[in-house]
Amino acid sequence: MSALLMEGVTFTYPGAGAPALRDCSFSAANGEVTWLTGALGAGTSTALLVAAGLAPRHTGGERSGQVRALGTDPAEGAAGLGGRVALVLSSPGAQLSGIAETVAQEVAFAPANLGWPATRIHAAVSHALDRMGVAHLAPRGPATLSGGELQRVVIASMLVLEPDLWLLDEPTSALDTTGRSLLHALLRSEAARGAAVVIASEDADGLHPAADRVLVFRQGRPVVEGAPDEVLRGDAIWAAGAGSTTVAALGRASGVASPRPLTVSEGVRRWAR
Amino acid sequence: MTRLLLDSVSFGYGQALVLDGISLQVGAGEGVALLGPNGAGKTTLTRLAMALQHPRGGQVVTVGRNTRRLRPEDLADVAGYLFQHPESQLFARTVRAEVGFGPAQLRWAGGRAAAAVDQVLSELGLASVADAHPYDLPGPTRRLVGLAAALVCGPPLLVLDEPTAGLDRASRTRVAEVLLARRAGGTAVLAVTHDLEFAAAALDRGLLLVGGQVARDIALGALLGHHPEFPAPPLVDLSRQLGFHGVRPTVAVLSSLLTSHPQTGTLEA
Repeated sequence: MSALLMEGVTFTYPGAGAPALRDCSFSAANGEVTWLTGALGAGTSTALLVAAGLAPRHTGGERSGQVRALGTDPAEGAAGLGGRVALVLSSPGAQLSGIAETVAQEVAFAPANLGWPATRIHAAVSHALDRMGVAHLAPRGPATLSGGELQRVVIASMLVLEPDLWLLDEPTSALDTTGRSLLHALLRSEAARGAAVVIASEDADGLHPAADRVLVFRQGRPVVEGAPDEVLRGDAIWAAGAGSTTVAALGRASGVASPRPLTVSEGVRRWAR
Repeated sequence: MTRLLLDSVSFGYGQALVLDGISLQVGAGEGVALLGPNGAGKTTLTRLAMALQHPRGGQVVTVGRNTRRLRPEDLADVAGYLFQHPESQLFARTVRAEVGFGPAQLRWAGGRAAAAVDQVLSELGLASVADAHPYDLPGPTRRLVGLAAALVCGPPLLVLDEPTAGLDRASRTRVAEVLLARRAGGTAVLAVTHDLEFAAAALDRGLLLVGGQVARDIALGALLGHHPEFPAPPLVDLSRQLGFHGVRPTVAVLSSLLTSHPQTGTLEA
């Protein structure tokens, strides 16, 4: 089942000369991690904003084509989607409620708005903070957190609702090594729970083992699609202006033909004297 | 020559101390990665260096100036800063005007300012967006614009908070190359980063902050791969396993080694 479906979607930001998405079609299935990548400006971030309904509701602009997130057109408002779609942006500061005095209250904000009983909220908040490795931050003021701590808290504040559709835009940019591996493991376990996970990221080294499918965007739509293990070894991803893993990039710069090595151990096998 | 000096610096936003008696020096031409877990005080340290905060105890001396009574603008001629969220530093209507703000504040002549802006935009691959509005650009491109603004006046000290976050490989490589070139000219670079590949390519020394103190001050080569929190990034790991020692672990350097050494096996079928 497709939790997210786009069919022939074109989207243009207000005042922009060219559309950010052009005749864009793809789907994301429950139980899978779908990874969107592409050169800067290829449209992956915009695809997430459109999927969440923030474009055009918040950004303005013109959209055409069909979008279905959990069976609803997200442009028609959040009715019915409350708590079921989680959008994680790369600037976590923009996603705080602004009224919570502690991290625990911040994470409890959405469940409280949905009218959950206090005992359920308390247990769910503890569990979510624990899973993101930030239980120790519960009594802190959100404004006192570092960028990376904030990113983890924002993700915990969505995790608490057990969303059916995750939309994440470069969520690891502020995270340390531990935070990145934690997030990748979390995405796998959310997919295993049955959620659809859609993540836009340039981090091929981190994502290729975590994703089930990769969609390579160019000029506003996916132009290459497949299993990361195949797509990343090939030439099409480079032709689309995106990049592969570090070792594949080294292989390409050194004249190694496709299929190229992806990991350090494959590189050592290829190049060892 | 010392470009940044922290002497027994303590600082906290509330009662708790974020930095607790930190002392360190960064010299001309040095490239220092400021590392540590989320919440270790890395961004706070950069804010103190730029006089955006002032120490509760101890002293901060930025390019010879004690920051005690200084405002951030008093350091504009000697230190360039890239904010963790560049959105908070961009305000002009075009990229060119944004990057030209620093030279204008320093009253550079028009021709000199324009040349410096063009030069830095082209170094960072931003020439094609010079007339765009910064807010019409993707977030990672805005970060490059913030970096251009930090670099444009050629300050002797660069303090950069996550310069490569969200950038694609080509841009990260470009940023590393630009910083290496500046360092060769004597510029000191202090960069908060979680991008260990970038750190290994552009910087040499690692300062590890833990719990508001300097836990390690160590050559990056001795840190990466020898500490559970700092695994060797792919190119560092690969160069070690292939026996390339003392080389900069970048795609450009390694590919030239791999293609110029027939015995490395690149000729195998």
